[in-house]
Amino acid sequence: MDRVQENSRLVADYAVAHQEDLYRLAYSYVKDRDAALDVVQESIAKALAKAGTLREPAYLKTWFCRILINESMDYFRRGQRLVPLELLPDRAADPGPDPGERLDLYDAVDRLGEKERTVIRLRFFEDLKLEEIAQVTGANLNTVKSRLYKGLKRLKTWTGGDLDDA
Amino acid sequence: MHEAWERAKACYQDIPIPEELDGAVSAALAEGKRRQGRRRAVRRAWSGGLAACVCFCLLVNGSPAFASAMESIPVLGQLARVVTVEHWKVEDRRRVIDVRMPALADTGNTELERRLNDEIRAKIDAIVAQAEEEQKNELEAYLATGGKWSDYEPLILDVDYEVKCSSEQYLSFVITATRVRATSYTELYIYDLDRATGADVSLRDLLGKDWKARCDAAVRAGIAKRTAEDPKASYFTEEGGFSGVGDDQKFYIREDGTPVLVFEKYQVAPGYMGIQEFPVEAE
Repeated sequence: MDRVQENSRLVADYAVAHQEDLYRLAYSYVKDRDAALDVVQESIAKALAKAGTLREPAYLKTWFCRILINESMDYFRRGQRLVPLELLPDRAADPGPDPGERLDLYDAVDRLGEKERTVIRLRFFEDLKLEEIAQVTGANLNTVKSRLYKGLKRLKTWTGGDLDDA
Repeated sequence: MHEAWERAKACYQDIPIPEELDGAVSAALAEGKRRQGRRRAVRRAWSGGLAACVCFCLLVNGSPAFASAMESIPVLGQLARVVTVEHWKVEDRRRVIDVRMPALADTGNTELERRLNDEIRAKIDAIVAQAEEEQKNELEAYLATGGKWSDYEPLILDVDYEVKCSSEQYLSFVITATRVRATSYTELYIYDLDRATGADVSLRDLLGKDWKARCDAAVRAGIAKRTAEDPKASYFTEEGGFSGVGDDQKFYIREDGTPVLVFEKYQVAPGYMGIQEFPVEAE
């Protein structure tokens, strides 16, 4: 069997087995049911069409993840609905003494900048290793680490919690 | 892991999964396979073209018998092939249009070549013009009813082609025009040519006088098989379902000469099933 065929089978199997994970990850970016379905659909079609470019089947997961995230970001670019988060003022939670007033951690993640958010989501929600996150995002390991710690630091101030032992 | 993260992860995993996801994944797999086929077909066509040129030079130089055999070439010569004559893109806030226009080349029959190529060009120009016209009207209506320019999604139109068969006997290619608005829809224009006569090949030519019965049987068997194998597959059964092929049934010719019947989206099945193809295998 040639590589394209072999990879196509791997890609198709992976897509079917992990369709719910793919959907959740897409949804966590686009926050809209129909848009997330579109993103998943387009990512799978793209992945299959490009199956020949996957050189190492061991990287299937990170390769797929990368296509899905790119597609999610493209969704915003196409619609030009994205307000770059870097341009938004930091909406830090009111550092009042009452912990009930503080941001919920899950919501707080959404408020991070795109790069930090991606690292945090993949690390804590999708349980990827830092090396894998580096492959997905195309950044080197040290950059990923620095984004992780920056993200964690921000989350800590926003939620007032202790999140370090991760 | 810290319990705050466990709670956050639980929220993440509570994102509800819509029931359409299964259908969307099936449709995506079919679409991916189709795109794969397109790339391969084009590559094949190219390498075939190159190989033909190389052989031609070698043989003409090397063999007087070959040179004289070339005098009895059929109407559409063996060198006839489908090439891209034009490739252009427009991309702005209103529209993203990508057109790859095919044409016949090296047919050895300039009159036929010109007629078909003019026809293809006119057809593609008309598709683009119509899409732009509709986009214009739609944008006016959108803005007039309070739609925001910043939320406007441009029209996406993709015109492409795929060579399905380039054998000694047949030349078969499919032109696709895909428009994406909220959903996508692909129109198909198919050319099946007989190299010997330059004429369109019909299903009757390929399958004989009981062609309708054979096509109907192939489609019904195909639907039954796919429905049995894949619980997610579904076809219209009553109103609007498959009710036998007509004289205008679309088909292309596969590399091995087998006709493949093509049904556009919604023709015999719900939209998520996409374009449906059924080969009519030799008996």
